[in-house]
Amino acid sequence: MLQDIIDLRRIETIYEGEKIPVIYDINLKIKSGEFVAIIGPNGAGKTTLLETINGLLDYISGEGFVFRKEIKKNKSQIRKEIGYLIQNFEIDPLAPFLCKDIVMSGRTGKIGTFRFTTKKDWDKIWYSMGLVGMIDFANRPIGKLSGGEFQKILIARALAQQPRLLLLDEPFSNLDYASKIQIETLLNRIHEKYKITIVMVSHDLNFVPVGCNRIIVMDKGRIIMDDKKEKILHSNKINDIFKNGGRK
Amino acid sequence: MIELPLLFLIPSIIAAVLVGFVCSTMGTFVVRLNLSSIGYAMSHAAFAGAAFGLMITIDSTITALFFAFGTALIIGPLAEKARLQSNIIIGFLFSIMIALAFIFLNYVPGEAAKGSALRILWGSLFSVDYNDLLLLLFLSFLILAFVFVFYKELLSVMFNRKLAESSGVNTRLFFFAVLFFTGFAVSLSLKLVGGLLVFALIINPTSSAYQFFYDFKKIMIFSPIIGIISCLVGFYLSLLTDFPIGASIVIVSAIFFAIAIIVSPKRKKGNGKRNILKNQI
Repeated sequence: MLQDIIDLRRIETIYEGEKIPVIYDINLKIKSGEFVAIIGPNGAGKTTLLETINGLLDYISGEGFVFRKEIKKNKSQIRKEIGYLIQNFEIDPLAPFLCKDIVMSGRTGKIGTFRFTTKKDWDKIWYSMGLVGMIDFANRPIGKLSGGEFQKILIARALAQQPRLLLLDEPFSNLDYASKIQIETLLNRIHEKYKITIVMVSHDLNFVPVGCNRIIVMDKGRIIMDDKKEKILHSNKINDIFKNGGRK
Repeated sequence: MIELPLLFLIPSIIAAVLVGFVCSTMGTFVVRLNLSSIGYAMSHAAFAGAAFGLMITIDSTITALFFAFGTALIIGPLAEKARLQSNIIIGFLFSIMIALAFIFLNYVPGEAAKGSALRILWGSLFSVDYNDLLLLLFLSFLILAFVFVFYKELLSVMFNRKLAESSGVNTRLFFFAVLFFTGFAVSLSLKLVGGLLVFALIINPTSSAYQFFYDFKKIMIFSPIIGIISCLVGFYLSLLTDFPIGASIVIVSAIFFAIAIIVSPKRKKGNGKRNILKNQI
C-alpha cells in the first residue's frame, strides 16, 4: 500500500495581522506517486494551501504531516525534499544571474550548510537542465529568457534538489499556448518517468495535464470537491464555481 | 598638493583599500536585496553614534557600531516583512539621526574634539589609527570568509528569498547577516569617508558593476575592485586638491557610475543579443 506523502487534518491557516483564516477545515491526504491538481477561482486559498504544506506559512490549528513528519517541527528538513515553483514570478531583464546558477540554487538546501557544491551536485544540475531541454541555456542570463524557457529553468531548479514532492503554483500562468503545451508534456514526462508526487495549483480548467488523475476543488478557503479528474470535469457544480471563468 | 612622506601615508592608503573592499562587497547584497533605504538609515545612525561617542568622550567607533546595529535590529524585522515602506524609513530615520548627530556634536567638549567631530562629518585622511586598521582588516577577513563559505546560500537568497526559503535555506539568518556586516562596514568607514557620504561607497561601485555583467560572481569580483579604485583615486584627488577625502571618493565613484551607465553593454539597444553572448563567457 502506498504511503501518504501529505496528511492534513482540520488545518486552518491565517495571515499575520489578519483575523479571518484564508483556508480552514482542510482535510487532505495525498499518496506517494499521485499527480493532483488543485483548482479553484482566484482567492480560493490554493497558494496558501501549498505554502502551508511546505511550511512557508504556519497553520494555527489542526495537524499537518509531510513525509510522515509534522510540518511545524520539521520545516527545513521537509523543504529539502520538496521542489517548489512560485506563481507569477517576474524577473528583471537585467538580473545578474545565469541559468546554471539558478538551477544550482535549488540544490542549496540539499547540499547543506558549510558544504560546497561538488562535481556530483553539478552532475545532478546538468541532468535536471537536460531533462527540461535547457542544457544549451546554461550560460544565458536568466532575465533574457522567454516565459516558457524561464518556467522550464524554474522546473529544472526544483528537480535539481531531487525532490520526493513537487509543489507547482500556477505553472501555466502567463505562458502562450505553445509554451503551455510544452510545460504540460514536460510535467507528464517527469511524473511518468520518475513517479514524483506532483501537486499542482491552477485556476485554468483547460490545462489539467493528462497524467493528473485527481482534482481537488477549492472555493472560499475550503476544499469542496475531491475526486477523479473525469468526474470533476464533468460535474455541473464546477460550472457554478467558475461561472465559466475557468473554461474557455 | 599636500607634500607628505609616503611612509606617513601608508596607513591611510591601506585603510582606503580596506574601506573600498568592505563597503562595495556588502554593496552587492544591499543593492540586490533592495536594502538601500535601511542601509542609508544605518549609515546615518552610525554617524549619530560616532557623534554621541565624541560627546561622552569614548571611542566613536564603538558607539557608531552600537547605533548601527541598534537601527538594524529595530528596522530589520519591519523592513523584512514589508511592514514599513522604504521611503518612510528614510524620511523618519534620516532626519532624526541627523538631528541627533547635530545635537551630540553641539555638546562635544573642547576645541580639539570639535575638530574630530567635523572629521566624522566628511571624513579625514589622517584620522585612521592602528586599531581602526586592525578592525578593518578583521572585518575584511570576516566578509571574505562569509562570502566564500556561504556563496551558494547567498546566491540563492539574492535570486529570490521565497524560493531560497522553500528549498531549505534559513533566509532570515542571511538577511540579518547582511545587515550586520553592512552596519559593521559603515561604522568602520566613518572616519575615512565621513558619515554623510559613506553609503554612496556601498551603492556606487556595485551599481557600476551591475551595468556590465549578468553573472553574479563577476559582480562580486568587480564591485570591490571598483570600490578600491574609487577610494585610491579619491585619496589621491584629496591630496592633490585638498578636497575632503569622503567627498573626493564619492565623486570619483559617482563618475565611474556615470561612465558605466553610458558605456553599459546591458543598456545598448539593438545589439543586446551579441552582448549577452559576450557576457556569458
